[in-house]
Formats: sequence, structure tokens, C-alpha cells
Amino acid sequence: MEDYRLRKTKQKFGAFWGNFGLPLIFIIMFAIFAISTPSFRSTYNFLNNLSFSSYVGIAAIGMTFVIMTGNFDISIGSMLSLVAVLGSSFIPKIGGAVGIISALLIACILGFLNGIFVTKLRIPAFITTLGMLFVFRALAFIYTNNVPVYISDRFWLYFGNGKLFDVIPFPILLMGVCYGAAYLLLRRSPVGRYIIAVGTNPRAAALSGINVDNIKILVFTLLGLFVGISAVTNSANLGSANPGLMGQDFEFQVITAVVLGGTALSGGNGSLGGSFIAALIVTFLNNGMGLMQVNSYWQMVATGLVMIFAVSLNKLKFFLLGQGEF
Amino acid sequence: MKRQLKIFVITALCLALAITLSFIGCKKEEAAEGGMQVKTYTNAADITIGFSLWTMEFTFFQNVEKGVKDACEDLGFKYVMIDQNSDATKMVQDINALVGQKVSGIVVTPVDPGAIGPAVENARKAGIPVVCADIGKSGPVNALMISNNFKGGELAAEFLASKLNDKTKPLGLGNLLPQWTYARQRGEGFLSKAMELEYNVAANIIVQNPSAEGGYDTMQQILSAVPDVAGVYFTSGREAVGAAQAIQAAGKDIWSVGYNGDPEEFQAIKDGVLDATILQEPYYIGYRSVEILKEILMDGKFYENVEVPVDVKLVTPENIDQIAADILEKTGNSAFPAQ
Repeated sequence: MEDYRLRKTKQKFGAFWGNFGLPLIFIIMFAIFAISTPSFRSTYNFLNNLSFSSYVGIAAIGMTFVIMTGNFDISIGSMLSLVAVLGSSFIPKIGGAVGIISALLIACILGFLNGIFVTKLRIPAFITTLGMLFVFRALAFIYTNNVPVYISDRFWLYFGNGKLFDVIPFPILLMGVCYGAAYLLLRRSPVGRYIIAVGTNPRAAALSGINVDNIKILVFTLLGLFVGISAVTNSANLGSANPGLMGQDFEFQVITAVVLGGTALSGGNGSLGGSFIAALIVTFLNNGMGLMQVNSYWQMVATGLVMIFAVSLNKLKFFLLGQGEF
Repeated sequence: MKRQLKIFVITALCLALAITLSFIGCKKEEAAEGGMQVKTYTNAADITIGFSLWTMEFTFFQNVEKGVKDACEDLGFKYVMIDQNSDATKMVQDINALVGQKVSGIVVTPVDPGAIGPAVENARKAGIPVVCADIGKSGPVNALMISNNFKGGELAAEFLASKLNDKTKPLGLGNLLPQWTYARQRGEGFLSKAMELEYNVAANIIVQNPSAEGGYDTMQQILSAVPDVAGVYFTSGREAVGAAQAIQAAGKDIWSVGYNGDPEEFQAIKDGVLDATILQEPYYIGYRSVEILKEILMDGKFYENVEVPVDVKLVTPENIDQIAADILEKTGNSAFPAQ
């Protein structure tokens, strides 16, 4: 009887932690910075951070889908750079609005190509996307001769610097819309159920009539689309697209956010909300430590330790729910 | 399904509305752009200088930071520094954070000068003057402190010409990537002076990987392209040291010149591996940047897009000890690597 109670308590705590663990970490972290650093708690700084978390946050949606299917993509940093330089270079000929559409189309094509290589040519995602990491970056260098593309089109620039009612940065709005659409896709549409099914057990999914390859191609293409949106907002915010500097370590940041958010690298169920909160944690942590004048080397140590801590607490959740060992 | 379609349509309409409202918001900003209103101070203790630095990884930037910090201490200003960690996105985020902190003035050493435009515009709209300490800029700033890179290139060409004293001997150039608009003048000055002195720069190769290894590889390429090259100039410090090591490994007798005055270069000159370097003054660049902000904030002096050239010097085995002693006296740092 006591064992049963203990198990129940464990399960309750596990479920609580699963739902509220990351937001709790975020709130505690936020409170510490807000108390210790007055400049951290300003609305301006909050919106600034939220806006900057959108680049990683938006791409993390696509990466969550891909990781849920048991794959991952390490080419997205180079993809971001290539999409930004290509799209922004078209502006003088086709204008900002069509430039953005073409950038998103290119991003979808690049993601689609990754999906084709992984599914139809049966090349492991790690090898495919590692190769593409070099190909995309090299193409960005070749196309621009390593000269940044400067952006002066107001429409394009609004995507990084525009503010609703002169207060809310546009990237935040865009991130909200992306998460809303992704939630509907994942939780309220058959495609979402297929993605989960493919990630949980691809063979069973195939036997039940799901075209596994098509779902994998779709998630890679969707990842391309979200990276494309990040590329537009990021380059708009910088006012330029630099083929060498844009997207450096971007894949690392995005994969970190997704894994920190509770999506298992082995595939299966994932958490969009977790990815979002994790993207916020990474951004606010860096900002808070910067404002606290923490030495940049100690910032790296702290960021690494917080990540290990968060992931181990995530493992604790599965242990308490009786779904794994701790 | 119909319900989902409805939600999608509503979401799309909301987005379209948001874009429209954003346009209206931005147009308002344009109208307010008309010129920079700077708040002036009478009490130095009320002034906070924010510094956004490329990285603390390299000695050059450590010295820029020391200059900024020392100037703030000497002038009685408060000082806040944020490290960009070599990340252009973080650089913009940091500059915006400094604006949010309501600092009085900003010094920035940008990792990507092409990307500071919108962030600097944002700061200046908030009445915060911005001085770029080296590297470059895009769009208007109050002042840019920048080494006289063209002159540095000329000094390198003159040095090689004086040592070779034979116009038939070819020269080589390890150049910077095209994106570094200001630093590329180091190569342009060299090419211009070499042409004036009637020397042929037979190889002009871009160092693709900005590191000692990149310099080593590029030097090997120069040796393959021009086997009888007699003198080379590399436009950055670590690359020059790598190139000098490649010359040594190849057993060739080639004159070599670097640029920056990094501790590794000083050591290489002392060891007889590198023949000379062009010394920049990062400490002075940092210090003077704060002095300019003081002139704007306290003396009401007008600075708008002013480029302030900073002199450079040739360092050779003959004058290295004197220059190292001067650096130690001025900055408190040794010009040589820490033992």
C-alpha cells in the first residue's frame, strides 16, 4: 500500500515537473536576475530579449518536428546564412515583400533536399546535414564573394526592427504566430499524429499506412521554412546578411533549446512549449549574466551547467513517471 | 477541419493587421528622426559608459578594453562592459540592452561592422552618442576611431623595399577578406606604395581562415605560385606569424612583415622568425573613444560621422625593445606573451 502511495506521489511529482519544471526554472532564473540587476527587469530589456530569442525559438519549432521523427539537422546555421544572403540580394530586383517570399521558398527547397537525401538515398541525417553544412556555407561564400549584403528595404527591415504600437517588436509577434500554427499542426491535425507515430515507432507507422518517408521529407521542409523565417528576421535586425558570420553555432543553440525543452533525441513525443521556454532560458541567461558583468568565460561555464542541470531534471521526470532510469 | 481553417484564416488576418500596424509605428519613428538630441552632463559621476566588445579572447581587444576602462576611471565615469562573444546577433542584443540601461554613451568594437547600423540608429534615437573603437561601421555614428591602415600598408612596402633594394624581386601579399572594408586598406596601402616604388606584387592571396594556420597555408600557396618571392606582407598578426613559420619550414630566405603588434608577433621578431610588424595602438583607441564621448557629453562638442585616424608604427628588431618599454609604461601590459 505504501509502495503504491510512493509510486503515485512520484508520478504526480513527475507529471508536475513535466508540465511546470522548465517554466519554474525560467521564473527562478528571471527572479534572481531581476532582484540582483535593476536594468534587467525593465520592460525594454524584457522585450529586447524576447525579440532576440525569436531567431532560435522559431527555428526550434522545425527542429522539434525533425527530432521527434528521430532525425536531426546540423546544417541549419549555414542554411540560415545562405537563405539570408540569397533572399536579401534579390531585393533590388524584386522588392522586399517578394524577396521574403523567395527567401522562404529557397529555405523550403533546401530543407526538402535534406529530407530527400535522408529518406530516398538512405543517408543518415547526421552525414547528410553535416555535408550540407559545408555546401550551404560554401555556396553563401561563393555567391557573395564573402562580401555582406546590406539591406535597406524598409519592408524587409520591419521584420527585424518593426514594432507594434511602437512597443512590441515584430519578431515576437511572428514567433507567437509560428508557435500557434505549429501547435495546431502538431496537436490538432492528422499530420501531427503521423509525426508522433513515425517518431515513436516507424515500422508500426508504416504498417498502419503512414508514408514514413513523406512525413520525414515534410518535417525537413518545415524546418527549412522556419529557418527561412529566422533568416529574414535575423538579417533584418542586423541590417545586413553576412555569409561568414550569420548562423555561426546556430544549429548548436537550436538543438540545445529543443533537447533542453524535453524532446528526446531518440524521437517520439516532443514539446513545442518546452522548446520555446528553453529558447527563452538560453537568451535571458546570457543577457542577465552580461548585465551582471559576469566574465564571458564564466558565462560559458554557467550556461553549460544550467543546461546539464535542466536536462538531468528532465531525466528525473521520466524516472519518476516510471519511464526510465535516473 | 473547418474550425482549424477558421483559426488559420484568423491567424493570417491578425498577422496582416500586425504588419500594417507595424508599418504605421515605423513611419512614426521616421518622422522623429530629424537629428540627434544629446543630453549634456555637468557631473562626471552621473555618466555611465557602455562598452560592447567583439571578444576578450585576443590581446588586441583586451588592450582596447583596458583603454576604455582606464579612461572611465580617470574621468570619473561609471563603466559597463558586455562581451559580444564574436556573435553579431549578440552584439545587436547587447547594444540594445545598453540602450535599455539608459547609459550616457556607448563605445562599440563590432564583430560585424555591417550589422551595427540598426542598433546604433536605435541608440542615437534615444539620445545616446556612439563611438566605434576600431574595426569599422555601417551607417552614421558620432565618431570612428580607426588605425591609419593605408599608411601601415605603405610602411610595410617601404620596409621590404629598403631591405631588398632590388626592384626585380617579386613580393607577396596575404590579404584580408573583402568584408573588412577598413582593414583592407592595409593591403591597398601596400599595393599602392609597392607600385610607386616599382615593385611587383606577384601574389595577392586572401587568407580564408583568419588564424596562424590560415597564414601558414596561404604562405605555402604564395610559395607555390611565386617560388622566388623575396618579401611578403600579411595584413594581420596571427596570420603573419603562421606565414613566417611556413617560410622557416620551407628553409627559404624571405623578408616578412605582419600587422597589429600582437604579443606573438613581438616574440616572433625577437626570435628572428618575423622581420617586422606594423603596430596599432589599441589602448589609445579605447582611451580616446571615451575622451570623445566626454567631449560630446560634458563639453557639448559636436561629432557626427567623424573618422579619427590613429597613427601606426613600424616595429623592427632595432626598435622593438624601446617600443615594448613604451607599451609597458603606457598600458601596464607586456608587449610579449605572458610566460
